[in-house]
Amino acid sequence: MKDRQLAWRNLWRNRKRTLITAASVFFAIFFALVMRSFQLGTYDKMYNDVIRSYSGYLQLQHPSYLDEPNLDNVFTVDPELVSRLEQDPNVEAVVPRIESFALAAAGNRTQGVMVIGVEPERESKALNIRNRIVRYKLTTGAIEALKGEDLPGRLEKNIELFTGEAFTEPKDLISVLGISKKDSAVLLPLLRNHTSFPGSYLSAGESGSVIIGNGLSDYLEAVPGDTIVLIGQGYHGTSAAGLYVVKGVVSMPNPEIDNRFVCLTLDDARWLYGAPDMATSAIIGIKDGGDKELAATQQRLGAIAGEDLAVRNWKEMNALLLNQMEADNRSGAIMIGILYLVIAFGVFGTVLMMMAERRREFGMLVSIGMRKGRLAAIVGLEMLLMGIIGMIAGVIASLPIVFLGHARPLRFTGEMARMYEDYGFDPVMPMLLPDTFYLWQMAVVLLILAVAIAFSIRKIFKMNVINALRA
Amino acid sequence: MKVVEINEVEKTYHDTEVEVRAVNGVTLSFEKGDFAVIVGPSGSGKTTLLNLIGGLDQPTAGEIIVAGHRLSELKPSELIDFRMEHVGFVFQSYNLIPVLTAAENVGFIMSLQKWPKEKRMARTGELLEAVGLADRHNSRPSQLSGGQQQRVAVARALAPRPEFILADEPTANLDSKSAETLLDIMEKLNREEEMTFIFSTHDVRVMKRARRVITLEDGKVVSDERTNHTV
Ligand SMILES: Nc1ncnc2c1ncn2[C@@H]1O[C@H](COP(=O)(O)OP(=O)(O)OP(=O)(O)O)[C@@H](O)[C@H]1O
Ligand SMILES: [Mg+2]
Repeated sequence: MKDRQLAWRNLWRNRKRTLITAASVFFAIFFALVMRSFQLGTYDKMYNDVIRSYSGYLQLQHPSYLDEPNLDNVFTVDPELVSRLEQDPNVEAVVPRIESFALAAAGNRTQGVMVIGVEPERESKALNIRNRIVRYKLTTGAIEALKGEDLPGRLEKNIELFTGEAFTEPKDLISVLGISKKDSAVLLPLLRNHTSFPGSYLSAGESGSVIIGNGLSDYLEAVPGDTIVLIGQGYHGTSAAGLYVVKGVVSMPNPEIDNRFVCLTLDDARWLYGAPDMATSAIIGIKDGGDKELAATQQRLGAIAGEDLAVRNWKEMNALLLNQMEADNRSGAIMIGILYLVIAFGVFGTVLMMMAERRREFGMLVSIGMRKGRLAAIVGLEMLLMGIIGMIAGVIASLPIVFLGHARPLRFTGEMARMYEDYGFDPVMPMLLPDTFYLWQMAVVLLILAVAIAFSIRKIFKMNVINALRA
Repeated sequence: MKVVEINEVEKTYHDTEVEVRAVNGVTLSFEKGDFAVIVGPSGSGKTTLLNLIGGLDQPTAGEIIVAGHRLSELKPSELIDFRMEHVGFVFQSYNLIPVLTAAENVGFIMSLQKWPKEKRMARTGELLEAVGLADRHNSRPSQLSGGQQQRVAVARALAPRPEFILADEPTANLDSKSAETLLDIMEKLNREEEMTFIFSTHDVRVMKRARRVITLEDGKVVSDERTNHTV
């Protein structure tokens, strides 16, 4: 009889207890992994959204701009410096821009907006505004028209929930509306027909046009072709005002940005704010945005940029967002900690009960000649197996959910979506694919098991055979 | 030939406030082939004495020598190995490993001693036959009666051919018929395998069958009689 056979049989002598304990480990790690994947995936998405659509990974700025982001802290763009920065192996492009505030008015509505001036054709090397142009939109009119068509039952009932949603590509329409492959062949032409939305991106050298965020477009009730007024303060306190035609609408992932986004050409922005040849920042498009490579790149570029300019990374520029996520992360960790604490007590309870029940048996085994070390190894193996069965089952069970949640992120609609947007979050919660966080959760479970095993091994070594036999 | 020598052995417990002298100056020896029983009132020190002989406990004074080993000189882990090699134990109950079959239980100590599988199986078969359980090889302890379990325990104790077998009240939980059967088997093995048996008991049936009766009172030997009882 091999020790591991003996351990395996012992494991199933109290089948119910073993299963309950393994199940508790299963549920703990399962919930911890799913929860963690949700949290980390959501952070990841937020960071990516903000990096891809707004701040970029790195920016070249006036040294004071980080603390006082206003038009007094601008710098003159030196084309020679730009080309030197662009020679760095990790740099895709350096794209100067002007970023400031203004009041936007259309009809009888006004809204405080952020104004971004970019070079339209170069912008896409760092950010991706071009690919966010809204081509399809579920306006009230579009929904009315669609309801006149023959829609699948579920969609017919729910379509109003999607009012105001905007899309850049037909495939987004399909996935957000949850249309099956089967139906999409018939529905897609219908949808394209009724929901198509006018507008296009800025072209180089164009003057007097703006692109606005979808949220702002809704608020101002301004669609492509309409005119808006921008009023603000320019460089060194000059007044800035201009009249612009809305050329297109973009859907920005972060609602905070989407509701306030106005984009025009860099030349128009310089003209509007009276700051020729200047920029508030230059976004540095990066090939590899991994933490380590980014830090190295930041260092190299900082040396090239010299004392008069600063190279900032996305973490420095988005400190507020990072803090918010950090706080959320901590509360998540506490919840998981409590979950594990409960499990630890459960596992410990099982160990205590098992040790008490088998005291006589252990006494008998050591009496007839089993070394304590060997007995401890068998008992330890039993508990390890019990825990690992639960752990592996939990990990396996989490995988389909995590992969599904990654491929088809949970997307809130209606009231829930509005609530998220009010807090400045995109109502989409993608899950993060298995990563080091999986290893961490598994390590915690193994640690709990290790403590329980250490406890029982100690008990076995301290056992007095005579007392155990008398038990 | 002397299998066990006990010289002036004392065992004092002071777990509680009062000091208990469980074994108080015992000098005894056991010969190969003995079929001896230790009797005496409850608390007279029978279990304590058996535990000392078996190396489960160390005396507070005196010396015990088993098969040439002075037990007081052995370290705890050496004592465990000593028990595995030289002593067979039969307890009053809970003798067997519940997840093993009767045959696996009988073979257990032999496998601790790393006997080759063939020899182990042969010996197991022989002993299960001898204790009348040839047809119960694959039964788990929970599927056996109390008497059958004790017979498996005797077979296990005997299997690796220890120096002697210690049995602390082996019949205490058995009805008369099972007790008789167990005693018959032990007598037979005593004869056929020349195995030394040392029991403790309250049971008159056991006393009647013994060839040597040692009586303890308050931890002292008050009589040691050899009856010329033959089977
Ligand atoms: N581990 C121990 N700690 C303290 N006292 C003990 C211990 N073991 C035995 N004793 C005491 O030693 C004395 C002898 O006990 P022992 O168990 O040897 O008697 P016994 O003859 O086997 O009794 P019984 O017939 O009831 O089994 C008793 O007074 C008992 O209380
Ligand atoms: Mg006793």
